[in-house]
Amino acid sequence: MSTPLIGVSKSILKIKELINHVANTCLNVLITGETGVGKEVVAQNLYAESARNTQNFVKINCAALPETLLESELYGYEKGAFTGAHKKRPGKFQTADKGVLFLDEIGDMPMALQSKMLHVLQSGEFSPLGSDHEFKTDVWVIAATNHNLEKSIAQKTFREDLFYRLNIIKIEIPPLRERKEDIPSLIEYYFRLYSSEYPNNNGSKPGSDILEKLCNYPWPGNVRQLQNCIKKQMILNSWEKILEELPKDQIQIPVAPQFETSYQSQQHGINNAFPTDRTSIISQFVDLSTSSDKLFEDISLKKIKKLASDRVEKEVIAFVLEKVGWNRSRAAKILKISYKTLLYKMDEFEVSPPR
Amino acid sequence: MTESNRLLIVDDNEDILSTFYEFFNSMGYEVKTAVDGFAALKLLRDKSNFFDCLITDLVMPNISGVGLISIVKKEYPHLKIIAMTGYGDQPGALASEAKADVVLFKPIDLFKIENTVSELINQEKEIQ
Repeated sequence: MSTPLIGVSKSILKIKELINHVANTCLNVLITGETGVGKEVVAQNLYAESARNTQNFVKINCAALPETLLESELYGYEKGAFTGAHKKRPGKFQTADKGVLFLDEIGDMPMALQSKMLHVLQSGEFSPLGSDHEFKTDVWVIAATNHNLEKSIAQKTFREDLFYRLNIIKIEIPPLRERKEDIPSLIEYYFRLYSSEYPNNNGSKPGSDILEKLCNYPWPGNVRQLQNCIKKQMILNSWEKILEELPKDQIQIPVAPQFETSYQSQQHGINNAFPTDRTSIISQFVDLSTSSDKLFEDISLKKIKKLASDRVEKEVIAFVLEKVGWNRSRAAKILKISYKTLLYKMDEFEVSPPR
Repeated sequence: MTESNRLLIVDDNEDILSTFYEFFNSMGYEVKTAVDGFAALKLLRDKSNFFDCLITDLVMPNISGVGLISIVKKEYPHLKIIAMTGYGDQPGALASEAKADVVLFKPIDLFKIENTVSELINQEKEIQ
């Protein structure tokens, strides 16, 4: 049974109405929103309202698997296609035939696979690894991402043609802090759900002043963070304590999805579900919302060192330039670098005098 | 003109929308407007046989122009559709694939688009 879409805000009601109008069109859908807003819930609701709801709903996370594995998961392989392919295995495109294929974190799909995906979406045909045959596939593709794909296109990490092909219907889920009126009904729903899941819990519903505080908290980790709090409350039975433990000083409202700190996806259970100073510093340079595999691939000390020092250098250069009234040769002398290096760095960090 | 032709114009840019509205109104058309694909779809489902021609932008929130064209061509195959795009070739190609009758690239001369509209509507009337 899929989770219903909970909420009374205008935006959630509009999303429900939109789902209702498009669920039977089987046109490609792109769902966007910060981590934890409920992109998969929307995908499942689309599926549940469509005529395909008796067929499979197949999910794949494009960020969790290395490129080659993702490819074989999507398209399947023939026996002997590569070392270790002892027997033929169907891919997600095959298992999802006549049903729904939910491509989560599509923004993290490697470029090479994006081209292949585009081909499949255009032609409706795919071939498993090691096979000469093209198979017809009839899947309804629903994709989701927390990236701003327009930005990814500009940075050449996402194919424009694939974007337009997926973006036929776009469902944008606003962060929880922009729809506070949904918080009471979310608490009500998840409180009931977890109470029945853990019948021996100690939880209680929040009183009105606690509820008000909960509604005013910005929930950087969105619905998933709220869910974690409710679960935690089932054990602690103290909303005061939950409120106390919510990170307050360092709340970073994500400016851009790339800077999301994604508190929950660290998957270490409840105790580590909230950020520390450490994660908030690291998250400025690495996307912590991805799976561990992807994260470990992304974390490179050399890369982070460069990003961190660039950021500080940029600030220092701008600071000194402002102090000396944008006299570049004086600034270069103060910074103890050559004039040429300063110009180069100003260009690189896009530091320019105010107009 | 005994009975005025009915147009539905869809664009998320309200300036363009009001320019089109004024222009086609002054040319004797009965015009309705919508700011995105979803609003347009609701209007169409509400009055399915009302419109003669749909003019739609392609890149819009919620239901894109391409999505709208696909749905309309399936549900109301007789409705003529003109797609307009200002975003390069991709959306235009998808609009043709979705069987838009005409795809025009912005900026578009209003008189030219009016010509296209009246040609399309007359074509349809001749068939009937």
